Amino acid sequence: MGANGLANGSSSLSGSNGLNGESSKRYASYLANSNRYEAVDRMLDRRGPWTDEQFVGGSEAKAFLRQKAKILVIGAGGLGCEILQNLALTGFSDIHVIDMDTIDISNLNRQFLFRESDVGKSKALCAADFIMSRVPGVKVTPYHGKIQDHAPDFYMQFAIIIAGLDSISARRWINATLVNMVDEENEDSLKPLIDGGTEGFKGQARVILPTITSCYECSIDMLTPPTVFPVCTIANTPRLPEHCIEWASVLEWPKTFKDKKLDTDDPEHIEWLYQKATARAAMFKIEGVTWQLTQGVVKNIIPAIASTNAIIAASCCNEAFKIATTCAPYLNNYMMYTGNSSIYTYTFEHGKRDECPVCGGEASLVRISKDWTLEQLVEHLKEAQEFKLSRPSLSSESGPLFWYDPPGIYEATKGNLDKLVFDLLGPEGGAVSVTDKALPAANLSLEIQFE
Amino acid sequence: MPTRPSDSEVTTTRPTKIPKMEDSIDVVSASTATAPIPSYRPDAKERRYDRQLRLWASSGQKSLEQARVLLVGCNATGCQSLKNLVLPGISHFTILTDAKTTAQDVATNFFLHPESLGQNVADEAVKYLKELNPAVEGVANVQDPATLLKSEPDFFTSFTLALCCDVDPDLELSIADLLWQHSSTPGNRDVPLMSIRNSGFIGRISIQLREHCVIDTHPDSTHTLRIDQPFPELETYARSLDLDSMDSMEHSHIPYLVLLVRALCDWRDAHEGQAPSFEFRDEFKETLRKGKHKYDEENFDEAIGQAFKCWNTSEIPYEVESLLSRDNVKNITASSHNLHILLHTLGIYLQSHPLPPISPSLPDMHSSTESYITLQNMYKRQYQSDLAEYKSVLDKVLDSVGLPSGAVPVTEIESFVKNSGGVDIVNGSPLSAQRDVKGLTREAINEHFADPESENHLAIAEHLAILAAERYRTKHSIWPGTTSDTTADCQILEESIKEMSGLTALPGMAKEAIVEVVRGGFSSLPTTAAFIGGLVAQEAIKLVTDQYSPLDNTVIVDLVKSTTTAFKL
Ligand SMILES: [Zn+2]
Repeated sequence: MGANGLANGSSSLSGSNGLNGESSKRYASYLANSNRYEAVDRMLDRRGPWTDEQFVGGSEAKAFLRQKAKILVIGAGGLGCEILQNLALTGFSDIHVIDMDTIDISNLNRQFLFRESDVGKSKALCAADFIMSRVPGVKVTPYHGKIQDHAPDFYMQFAIIIAGLDSISARRWINATLVNMVDEENEDSLKPLIDGGTEGFKGQARVILPTITSCYECSIDMLTPPTVFPVCTIANTPRLPEHCIEWASVLEWPKTFKDKKLDTDDPEHIEWLYQKATARAAMFKIEGVTWQLTQGVVKNIIPAIASTNAIIAASCCNEAFKIATTCAPYLNNYMMYTGNSSIYTYTFEHGKRDECPVCGGEASLVRISKDWTLEQLVEHLKEAQEFKLSRPSLSSESGPLFWYDPPGIYEATKGNLDKLVFDLLGPEGGAVSVTDKALPAANLSLEIQFE
Repeated sequence: MPTRPSDSEVTTTRPTKIPKMEDSIDVVSASTATAPIPSYRPDAKERRYDRQLRLWASSGQKSLEQARVLLVGCNATGCQSLKNLVLPGISHFTILTDAKTTAQDVATNFFLHPESLGQNVADEAVKYLKELNPAVEGVANVQDPATLLKSEPDFFTSFTLALCCDVDPDLELSIADLLWQHSSTPGNRDVPLMSIRNSGFIGRISIQLREHCVIDTHPDSTHTLRIDQPFPELETYARSLDLDSMDSMEHSHIPYLVLLVRALCDWRDAHEGQAPSFEFRDEFKETLRKGKHKYDEENFDEAIGQAFKCWNTSEIPYEVESLLSRDNVKNITASSHNLHILLHTLGIYLQSHPLPPISPSLPDMHSSTESYITLQNMYKRQYQSDLAEYKSVLDKVLDSVGLPSGAVPVTEIESFVKNSGGVDIVNGSPLSAQRDVKGLTREAINEHFADPESENHLAIAEHLAILAAERYRTKHSIWPGTTSDTTADCQILEESIKEMSGLTALPGMAKEAIVEVVRGGFSSLPTTAAFIGGLVAQEAIKLVTDQYSPLDNTVIVDLVKSTTTAFKL
């Protein structure tokens, strides 16, 4: 894995055999210099004006940071590469990183631990190798896979978790998992989650203390809703190049290829869509279908640059450093950054949501029409900005209303989809509890009322 | 919010069920393409830069690929800044310093290795930074910058942009003075300078530039619909529609924009040529509502929602007007910046037109394809006609200063005419003036430092603490906070700030700001270095591409409070 960065030397302490005499001496002399961490030590040996009274600092803080604090990085992409670099230089020495992706050429404009020769390799493995080759004394343990493949026990071993993800579903999953892990009897079960995200010149960093501060799910309604084009526009009245591209991917692809799934990473597939969309655009005299736009629309590409990732990842790691050492108060609890006009940050406390399905306790009131079927309610839970569920299973106080799984219950309850909620719950409405794979082990409580 | 769903989620949000619509056209006939379509599939370079091209396009990339960046000094912050410029593909960087690599350098700077110890830090950092992008040229210059400044000042002015990281305050000012002199000489390119300081959790970036032209600020919207002042073709079209005899399909697919123009014409006809004012908004909306044939006509709902555009008068944007009144826009010469010439021309154009040229861009709206394309073509024709008039004015302007027609590239003219509200000009000030306790610094002291309630109070206090530290450094040749007696250093900075500000007692958080600045001893905390390196690169990209508005001109970074505060000095 990863010949990168090894051009002139060792990959770790044990690998220093290949060095010539001079560089070997320099290496040893670096390690012998106990003052090399001066920049970080100053923050740990000196108290700041805003440092908490409990701060002890000195050797105790250094030992925790450098020997004990096991930290997990979720994502080894744009943010992940930066996060790993910063953690290693700050002094964290037991770093774990998890990512299911492999390296693509379009990553190389910002994911600076990877080189052209790494394309196709595992991001987690490659990034871990690189960090260990560059920063002596740091152990990075990579996991090539999904966060969902690990049980709560796995997450229990870490002191802090930093997420640099581009996926909402993964964020919701880790957030819900960490909130559920909190056991009031066990202080160690509370794992600070530091979450970063970027888009173009904008980004945000936040600190989530599960059950104590607002969680990721509390702010789910702050997300920009994805652009969804109505199907009748795509099918009948296209006006924009995007409409023609959606037509090609949503309607034409499944019609033409039946069982073959569209692979948005396959350039041949994009080419096919581009050709179809271009032909359709020409027929309707619509301008502006390009290869890049086609790819952007079907892959929902978000612009990404090194500098924004650097800013947000640095902020995340700075909070991790402050949490691990208490040398300064950590972020409470949200920093928003906007760089497209001058430099602007907004730092504020995002409040908890009482009806948050993950960390709140109260039921969400949902007022629906008397003529809604259960299927309409299910669709509403998928689409509404404050729920955004993928496969919600619903139960009333008297038992399952509709469950996606297991197959037995699905078969037994799917007939309810066509029935009116009014008939299923009675004229007064009532409590409905919802589970969904987006929210592991969490129950969303609804209070249904009729208009 | 910046986050958006991942690829996998989008597939689930896409509609899975396709409702059968009675008025649907035959989709099979739509897919029968005729002539083969050329592919234009992206090449390796376009694929590598794809995610950034979506922000600054090929024009921005071209500027980036011509940029030559100089870094004076070579600490972690400087190398992080360069990393974020090498990755997107600048042409060239030079690191200038005669310093040798220390253990502290290696421990904070990712672009060094333990084996770099004792070697020229510029050589070592260049080696590791170059690995990031084979297309970028990197050079180490291991001369003493102060000596080079005397012997070869042209070296400094040969770059597009200079970054000074942790450079001695006096030397930094000398470099800044040289670049300012150079930039102020007519005919010379402006070479902006960014001055970067950091100490522990606190940092500061200052930009010196003479003048910076932003050719595209990327405003949220570039539409200039001007419903309140429809151009003749649009008005004629709107009036010509026989709304009552249309079939329901056609009626429910008239673009809202056309509905509004029509309603406005009808209103004016009935009110002696007067447009509806704000007081009549409900009445006006009611006429729209009455026009519906069916209660669920979405285009009418859109029209009612956008009706305010009928009584909000389209005007020359305030920002454009203030640009037009600048001296170097009013008085141009053959060597004026293209943007000055284009704005000057706009000023003359506006003497015979109430508004700047119209933009050809339309937002999406509920409509049939045909009506939408018809409308879009009307806007395009109007844009072409405005553009032609603008160009004829421009030719006269160019002629008047002795420039040939064609002196400004057509692409620049067109992009300006499409988006004249999306340009900006930033006036800079010399670094020496920013460091003097006069002018804007004096104002900042009076307004923000003396007033603990001001939201910029702490940031200005931190700036003054850094300023005092720079004076300390000049006097004592070391930075405050580098010896164990930090209390004494804080005391000295307090006295220095009292002297600068003229205040006998330090207000509010000033003492705290001093303690935090001294605490770091002006060493590079890796996270602060990465944060500031990100900001520096972001601003450098804006300065090099002439896109997006840059910082004007100072920002304080406080990573205890996790804030940034920008202000002008
Ligand atoms: Zn919550």
